[in-house]
Amino acid sequence: AVDDSNPWWTEFSRVCREMNLSIKPEIFSAATDSRFLRAAGVPALGFSPMNRTPVLLHDHNEFLNEAVFLRGIDIYARLLPALASMPALHNEC
Amino acid sequence: RRQLSEGEHPGVTLFRQYLRIRTVQPEPKYDEAVLFLEKIAKDLGLECQKVEVAPGRVVTILTWQGTDPSLRSLVLNSHTDVVPVFEEHWNHDPFEAFKDTQGNIYARGAQDMKCVGIQYLEAVRRLKAEGKCFPRTIHLTFVPDEETGGHQGMELFVKRPEFQALRAGFALDEGLASPTETFTVFYSERSPWWLHVTSSGN
Repeated sequence: AVDDSNPWWTEFSRVCREMNLSIKPEIFSAATDSRFLRAAGVPALGFSPMNRTPVLLHDHNEFLNEAVFLRGIDIYARLLPALASMPALHNEC
Repeated sequence: RRQLSEGEHPGVTLFRQYLRIRTVQPEPKYDEAVLFLEKIAKDLGLECQKVEVAPGRVVTILTWQGTDPSLRSLVLNSHTDVVPVFEEHWNHDPFEAFKDTQGNIYARGAQDMKCVGIQYLEAVRRLKAEGKCFPRTIHLTFVPDEETGGHQGMELFVKRPEFQALRAGFALDEGLASPTETFTVFYSERSPWWLHVTSSGN
């Protein structure tokens, strides 16, 4: 769930807010490996930090701007410490 | 072209190197990708584990140990394969990773999803260089065959004892580009339901 009942989502969205990133939760329009992770009981979020970018996956002339790419590194460099510092959850052992 | 590469951010250079590895379906050069990842693991001081889930189909796992092994891990997943190309419709060689004067990098896999694999690695590189460490272990999993349904990749990997041993608590995986300022985050996805229609004459 993408609400405060999911601590991973809470943390993910908190970091995005701190970075002034506007995010929109959606259901993926195709299928990817996340479905196997979720089926195995691992909550997963699908996120590729590419805004201001035309959707060109599987298309001719697929490209990414290097400034968008580099900002993505900055975003992960903020997300990873937060997620990897998540305190023990009540159902965790 | 070479001149443009000078003074380039090393993360961008690494990204372009990865884009030049032809992990294109239907016969991806996975061996080259695995060697590339093993070398990066060594550079970054990460543990590297390889799990061959099917013949020639290796999942490469780079691990940054956390300080509290009782906690479940963070899994950063990406797939190494890319879909085929119709090269005649491209303005640049799709496996050259040409960068134009605006900084646009053209390649099959630039969005889906070699960018993300390298971004995970570069973020880890930066945090390690800053001397950071975190309670939870971070595993970077690089899997084959996502573009053909994951049946020789993630679908098999999640059934392996090596996957159980990761003790995954939460995972990040690919999303999609967004043409606007807003980033999209995907919390679920469609269930594939393939229909085979056989039509016999008359």
